[in-house]
Amino acid sequence: MPNKENVSKARFYNPPNILKEKVGSGGLARNILEQAQKLLEENDIDFEPIAMTYMDALRRGLDHAYNPSPHTTRFELMEGLIHPIMQLKANGGMFDYPLVSRIADKMIELIEGATEPNEDLQEIIQAFHTTITAILHSKLKGTGGVKGDNLYYAICDACDRYFKKHKREHPYYG
Amino acid sequence: MGYEFHKASVLIVEDNQPMIDLIRSVVETFGFQNVYTANDGEEGFEAFCKYNPDLIISDWMMSPTNGIEMAHKIRQSNLSPNKYVPIILLTGFSQKKRVIEARDTGITEFIVKPFKAGDLYKRIENIIENPRKFVESEDFFGPDRRRRKNVDFQGPFRRNEDTSSDDVTSPFEEEDQVYKEIMKQQKKIEEEAKKYNDPLIIAFKNNNDKKDD
Repeated sequence: MPNKENVSKARFYNPPNILKEKVGSGGLARNILEQAQKLLEENDIDFEPIAMTYMDALRRGLDHAYNPSPHTTRFELMEGLIHPIMQLKANGGMFDYPLVSRIADKMIELIEGATEPNEDLQEIIQAFHTTITAILHSKLKGTGGVKGDNLYYAICDACDRYFKKHKREHPYYG
Repeated sequence: MGYEFHKASVLIVEDNQPMIDLIRSVVETFGFQNVYTANDGEEGFEAFCKYNPDLIISDWMMSPTNGIEMAHKIRQSNLSPNKYVPIILLTGFSQKKRVIEARDTGITEFIVKPFKAGDLYKRIENIIENPRKFVESEDFFGPDRRRRKNVDFQGPFRRNEDTSSDDVTSPFEEEDQVYKEIMKQQKKIEEEAKKYNDPLIIAFKNNNDKKDD
C-alpha cells in the first residue's frame, strides 16, 4: 500500500489509446478465436529437442547448486534450478506435453517454498529430471493417462514428504 | 464489424523460435499483418525503436536481456518512441511475488504459459477496451496497477458470467487485476489438484479447516 506522501506525488496520465484508434471496435468473431486455438492445439512442433536444452540447463543448475563457487548467492543457486523448470512448465503445455507442465508446476512450487539446496531437495530434483527425461524419450504426450497420473502422484508424494520433514519452509505446513 | 487488427502492428519478443512461430500464427489468425519478431530484450528494444509497434508480446526469461529489463527500458529510455506502448508479458511463473515484480516494472498485462488463444485475446481486448491510466511517481512509471471498468463496452463475448464477482469489475470499485489473475490461477490449480487428490492441497485445506475451527 503506497503511503499518502507517495500518492500525493504521483501524476496520472490518460495516454492515447493508439491500438483502439487503429483497430476500432466490435471484438473478434468466435470462429476466429476457435481457429486460433486449433492452431495452438494442433501444432506439430517437436518439443523434445527444445526440452532437452532446458534439461541440460537444469543439470548444470544442479551441479552448480551442490558444488557452488564461493561468491554465488543462495538466490542465484535457487534461480539456476527454477528457471529451466519454469521453461519446461511454460513450453510443455504449448507443445502437446501438458504432463511435463503439470509436473514442472509442482516442482516450481517445491523449489519456491524451499529455503536452500539441501540433499533432500537435490534428490527430488534428480527424480524430476529422470521422470521428465523418461516422458520425453517415451513420447508420452497429452496427459499421459494413468501412467501420467502415477508419475505426477509420485512427484507429489515426494514433495509432500519433503515439506513434512522441512515444515518451516512451506506456508501450508509451517 | 470486428476489430481491424490488420491496421495495427505487433512485436513478438521470444528466445524460443517455435514459440515465436506459434504466437505469430495466433496473432495472424486474429488479423494482425504487421508482425515483427526479436529474440531477446536487447533485440526487442532495437526492433521497438525501429518499427514503433502498437503492441508488444514478450517472454520474460531471455538471455542476455530479459523481458522485464526490456520493459523497463521502453518505459524509461529517452530513445523510446512510445513509453506508453502496451506490453503483454508471457511467463511460466504464476507465483505472486513474480507477478508483482513484473507489474512493478510497468507491464500492462500478464499471461501464464501454457496459455490458450482466448487468454491472449482477452488481454488484447482489455488493452483496447479497458486501458489503464499511466502513473508517474518517484519510483514508478507505468500503467496504473488498478483498473476501472469501461461500462460502455458490450463486446461479443459479454455474458452474464463475465460480470461475476471475479471479473474486471464494477465502475465504482477499483480492483487489482493482476492480483485477481493470480487468485484465478490459484483456484484453477487447486481445482485441478483436488481432482487428483494432491497431498499438498489436501494438507493446505486441512490446515485452513483447522484455522476456521
